[in-house]
Amino acid sequence: MNSIRLYGKYIRMNLLCGMQYKGWPIMVLQVFIVVITDPIGLIFMFSRFGSIGPWTIERILLIYSMAVTSFGLAESFCRGFDYFPWKMIRTGDFDRVLLRPQPLTVQIAGSYFHIHRFARVFSGIGVISWCLFRMKIALTAIDILVLILALIGGFITYTGVFLFTSGIAFFTIQGLDWIYIFTNASYQITRCPMEYMPRTLKYLFTFFMPMLVISYYPASAICGWGDSYYKGLLALPAGIAFFLFSILVWRIGVRHYKSTGS
Amino acid sequence: MPYKLIRTSKSFMKKPETIFHSYKAYLSVFRIKAAEGFQYRIAALAGASISIFYAFIEITVYRVFYRYAEHNLAGNMAGLNLSQLITYIWLAQVLLLMQPMNIDSDILNKIVSGDVGIELCRPLDLYNHWFAKNAAGRIIPLIWRGSILLLVSLLVPMNYRLLPPATISGFLLSLLSLFSAFLLCTSYATLVCAVRLNITWGEGPTYIIMLIGGILSGAYLPLQLWPDFLQKFILLQPFAGYLDIPLRLYLGTLSPNQAIWAIGLQLLWVFLFILVGRMVMTIRLRKIIVQGG
Repeated sequence: MNSIRLYGKYIRMNLLCGMQYKGWPIMVLQVFIVVITDPIGLIFMFSRFGSIGPWTIERILLIYSMAVTSFGLAESFCRGFDYFPWKMIRTGDFDRVLLRPQPLTVQIAGSYFHIHRFARVFSGIGVISWCLFRMKIALTAIDILVLILALIGGFITYTGVFLFTSGIAFFTIQGLDWIYIFTNASYQITRCPMEYMPRTLKYLFTFFMPMLVISYYPASAICGWGDSYYKGLLALPAGIAFFLFSILVWRIGVRHYKSTGS
Repeated sequence: MPYKLIRTSKSFMKKPETIFHSYKAYLSVFRIKAAEGFQYRIAALAGASISIFYAFIEITVYRVFYRYAEHNLAGNMAGLNLSQLITYIWLAQVLLLMQPMNIDSDILNKIVSGDVGIELCRPLDLYNHWFAKNAAGRIIPLIWRGSILLLVSLLVPMNYRLLPPATISGFLLSLLSLFSAFLLCTSYATLVCAVRLNITWGEGPTYIIMLIGGILSGAYLPLQLWPDFLQKFILLQPFAGYLDIPLRLYLGTLSPNQAIWAIGLQLLWVFLFILVGRMVMTIRLRKIIVQGG
């Protein structure tokens, strides 16, 4: 309870801090433009080439936007971990965090918060609703449950990725760019229709980092593309499993921490 | 307390005999910055893995479109077949590294911390100084990450491999166009730095103007595959010169006798960006508020 209050205080502090810059609405606009223009190539390709069998632009965008929304949620609430390797380990600021008698994860998760990160979540949800509307899907109670659980599972999964990265950063200190494969680049693979996706990618993003479990299977269950609700509901347990694995990596990392700063 | 730094127009004038010396200074700014960048070789390797991942996904997606889509010949009708497209993707991933996607961290720190004041004390023209720095920043990733990428693109299985250039003359012209693209990226990056001198705006506006460049460059989707009604505009806008024009010359989709106006167009935009960049910088410096103390 205490740590939740502490996290709330951190977030409030960072929020007010960010609002001091007069340009923050422009930052919101900027993230919004990034999200809107990212699939622009895909939209132009579909308008030139037409759909691929049953795969219409709405289908692809639905899966894509579910992954993006999950990523956006994780980025909004646990941004601190994303910055952690660069801002805390390399400067040695982590020493100070260790001295405080509060959980490490709470302190780091709350160490950064930017309001403009929400733009990704809002536009993601907007695209999800647009796709469902265009495909004329009538949502039942269970559909909505699957959708919400998928987003929560996705949030936990991407938070897990941030934790995992931070855990590895204890050993490597820098040169972590390849981790983008599991963050910003991960949802790019949803542009490829499932049956044509190379097997390595499919397995990597199902059984290691469950990106497809939190985007494709719930979408398929909701829209009736041939996957059962059980597969759709796997999103949350899969997310939790990956998160627990990441916690393990993080723990090992903290135990091996050697200060680098002065 | 912030204080205002007033520069008179006189300080911009240079004596002719110092021009040669100042060019030597800009050259060493370039060299120092480049040597700094070369130290992060492991980081270049890690960065290259991302580019390879992206290229791999893009090729997979485009292959699906070219084979299974409803109008699977639409690409060929637009003048770009699959193997040309694959070559385009690899080379675009390489040239993308040259594009200004964020402000040089050195320069940004100087602006935010108020060290611009120190920069202004140097007997160098600020625009040229930052131009040299940005030039080095554009070229370093191209050399390290770019060469790793090129090597990989030549070693992958045949279906995914980079094609040799269409013609020798096209290749030579694409190299010339590549150099203009380098100038274009650098001049745009310096223009963005000049805009960023207005500190209270924050990061937002500069990111947006850089992002517009990135989208219109063809890195998201080759410009030839953009909607037909946009084709005229898309070729004349400045960012086609980032990577699309050099690649069209390489692939032979733009014939060598059209190269003159294409490269001329690139150079025209370079000229305009430098002009506007200098103008913005002069205006900003006239009423700059130096932060910190």
